[in-house]
Amino acid sequence: MTRPVLGAFAFAAAAVAAAAQSSAIPGLDAKVTKIERAGSASLRDCPPGTNTVSAVTKPGEQFALVTVAFKVGTGFKASPMKRPTITDASDKSYFTPSQFVDVGSMPEYSCTFPFRVPEGTKLKTLKIESATFDLAALDK
Amino acid sequence: MEIDRRAFIASLGGPAVVALMDHEAKAEALEHYMEEKLDAMVAAQQPEKFPTVAEIQAQIETRPFRRGTGSVFTGQRGENVKILKPMPDKPTLKDFFELRFAPANHVLQSATRAMKTGMSEEIILACLLHDCVLSLIKPDHGWWGAQLFEPYIPEKSAFAIRYHQTLRFYPDEEAGYEYPDQYYRIFGHDYTPPQYIQDTYKMLKNHKWYMEPRLVTVNDLYAFDPNAKVSIEPFLDIVGRLFKQPKEGLGYDNSPSAHMWRTLARPDNPL
Repeated sequence: MTRPVLGAFAFAAAAVAAAAQSSAIPGLDAKVTKIERAGSASLRDCPPGTNTVSAVTKPGEQFALVTVAFKVGTGFKASPMKRPTITDASDKSYFTPSQFVDVGSMPEYSCTFPFRVPEGTKLKTLKIESATFDLAALDK
Repeated sequence: MEIDRRAFIASLGGPAVVALMDHEAKAEALEHYMEEKLDAMVAAQQPEKFPTVAEIQAQIETRPFRRGTGSVFTGQRGENVKILKPMPDKPTLKDFFELRFAPANHVLQSATRAMKTGMSEEIILACLLHDCVLSLIKPDHGWWGAQLFEPYIPEKSAFAIRYHQTLRFYPDEEAGYEYPDQYYRIFGHDYTPPQYIQDTYKMLKNHKWYMEPRLVTVNDLYAFDPNAKVSIEPFLDIVGRLFKQPKEGLGYDNSPSAHMWRTLARPDNPL
């Protein structure tokens, strides 16, 4: 359930198998590696530093923690990127507070994006810029 | 569970002590060690217990100073205060950053993030200045901070500084602002903002400049990294463009906040 964003425009044939696939972020390879649930979330940007602030949930909520591995290629051009969003099974959108900051500052890294969701929410997709990732298979 | 062999042996008193133990004693010691480690791991996974407002209130008389005292008036971590370096005759904002607001790491981190994420110069400046007044006073720092800088900065930046204090209490997921766990720690988990903050929030929600203070709070949240390397240098151009540095020096230009700058410059004056 990973999605190589780099050069994804070329993979028209893959569209059936990867229904959630959309366009690409040139030069940035991204792969969803993990989805976890937690009652608190460390608030760190992407790539992550060592910020010490966290957020905690209220009763009936949880954080869906979506971890994405990134590889920065030579074709990547640094420019401000929007924060990722996710959707649930009913296509409701949720926002993460984590922001992309200095995306091209290191060649490879992993970021965990927290999303505050109602307990038990089934995740459907993750959107980073114009790339969409299918989360349903990973969100067991 | 992974066992650190060296730590385990050290916990028993070192290799010499272990050599004297029979197999049964070693097995028992290992089991005991693993139980302790497991307990510690489980404890680490428990959610943090935040204090109540009443518990925080009960701490007031345990200190020789009030929590709202500006940082130039108190020693670090209970130590005595230090002699401050004197200010130049005509101090600039940079002088105050270096001699009174230092290390100013939090505001520099906040402004760095605003700059790297492509925010406007007014917002970057507001982020750079938003908590500087904590050197002088802490309660209502949004209002005090805006008042300190208002004669010298764009109206939008002053608005952002004044009202970031209010918006810090109200999450806005779409804008990327979460209520921070540190507020549960410093205000109490059952804290309710006072009526004037609630009223200010109501006003701000419908204000055309809502996003100005909101963006300060968004960057504020991510500016508590003890390992971040930051400096004032990247902001000097923006300060040069947006901050109206008085030729007489801050504190001596007869502005409405000149006395506040003078107090920061000479906090050891008895009157």
